[in-house]
Amino acid sequence: MIISMKKYILSLSLLFATFLITYGQSADPLVSKCVMSAGQTTKYLKDFRVQLGEGGSESDFRFKANMSLWKNTTYRFTMCNSDDSKGQLILTIKDKANKTILSSFDPETGKIYSFVDLHCNKSGIYQLYYDFTNKQSGSAVGVISMIR
Amino acid sequence: MSFYSVFFIFVITNRLSLMKGRVIYFAILTVLVFSCRSATNKTNEFIFPEADSFPAGEAEKLSSEAIEDISRNITSPVEIANLLQTMEVPFSPEYLASSVDANKQGTAFDRALTLGILGADLGYLNMYEKTGSSIDILSSIKKLAEGIRVGQFFDFETIKRLSLNKSNLDSLLFLSIDSYTQIDKYLRDNNRGQLSSLIIIGVWIEGQYLATQVIKQYPDTMLRDRIGEQKIILNDLLLLASPYCNLDNEFRELCKDLQYLKERYRDVRITFTLGDPVSVPKDGGLVVTQTETSNVEMTDEQLAGITELTSSIRNKLIDDN
Repeated sequence: MIISMKKYILSLSLLFATFLITYGQSADPLVSKCVMSAGQTTKYLKDFRVQLGEGGSESDFRFKANMSLWKNTTYRFTMCNSDDSKGQLILTIKDKANKTILSSFDPETGKIYSFVDLHCNKSGIYQLYYDFTNKQSGSAVGVISMIR
Repeated sequence: MSFYSVFFIFVITNRLSLMKGRVIYFAILTVLVFSCRSATNKTNEFIFPEADSFPAGEAEKLSSEAIEDISRNITSPVEIANLLQTMEVPFSPEYLASSVDANKQGTAFDRALTLGILGADLGYLNMYEKTGSSIDILSSIKKLAEGIRVGQFFDFETIKRLSLNKSNLDSLLFLSIDSYTQIDKYLRDNNRGQLSSLIIIGVWIEGQYLATQVIKQYPDTMLRDRIGEQKIILNDLLLLASPYCNLDNEFRELCKDLQYLKERYRDVRITFTLGDPVSVPKDGGLVVTQTETSNVEMTDEQLAGITELTSSIRNKLIDDN
């Protein structure tokens, strides 16, 4: 009885240790999938994991990040939603003067683009704003790649 | 798992009949958690950790969010390598910091800075698909990462396998960049932001070195502009280093060098022309072209000054190491 309990405890401990070691190294499958879906001609640069609960009536985007974009480079912004995501991820990019450069959501047609390519001609630091459609809850990834 | 944890498990399991199972279970888990956290320390002697963590609020004058933003603003070495490929500049191992010996990095400062420098070299090698050559650099990165106790975030075996197989460049880039992102976040979350800053500065200096060395042999307007545009983020880099500039002599020296570089950029001008972006739906996506442009005004003398100082700073850093 004691021997089998010893084995049980040791096995559990080893399993737990393995989990701890591998946890820090495992890549998020949605991120990997999204990187791959960006296309053969792209090179991965960055990703943002966006997980948000249901929002209120605020008009601001709830996920913001800065990123430098460089002249003479074409960037691809890809959005991938997890299967259980209620809302769809949308992206808007603004420059330092708060001018909108692009949006993956067209308010006139209601169309949501799953990727947007930007031919950047002005180097600088830009603001990336992510949120889900109608401020719904959701889980998604925004991947930024460069087109060669 | 360390010798101490194995020994502890042995003692505990031999006293099972005297203790309650639940207590033992939690004791073992506790030991495993701590042994895993220090799994990179492979010596049998107890070594006092280097004093490389600082309470938040004393040294961390920038918010974690601000540091994260700055780290994202640094030009990726992958982007510079991409630009070089566009210019059809052939690969050259001469630009790499091959002389660095990871075993000789005595301080956490040296290790973190070199980790950044080699990270940029890895990006350059990966983009040129010189992946067989990247194995030596990967081994050095592994040692350096373990030296500052962040080796657990680098999946060396997978990166090495992808490098050797040349199977999927995007997976390789993703894993390499993601490992650095995780290290950066872990260091900042654990009050070791000064090491995270050093890695970022190392990446930037090496990317800047690469660009300025290439332009000497391959003059090109796009590359010249990219070098001039670094003025945009040099202030951010200084901001990143500033909380630690008085930490020790190594930091003082680095901050001074970055300040000198900023001086060299002082008269470089970046101007903008206005225009509205043009959007066209294409292949299920949207293609946006900026009509606004940025233009760099930098004289040959200014470029030469920046090139000379960048090389001197970078070479001093790798020679000191």
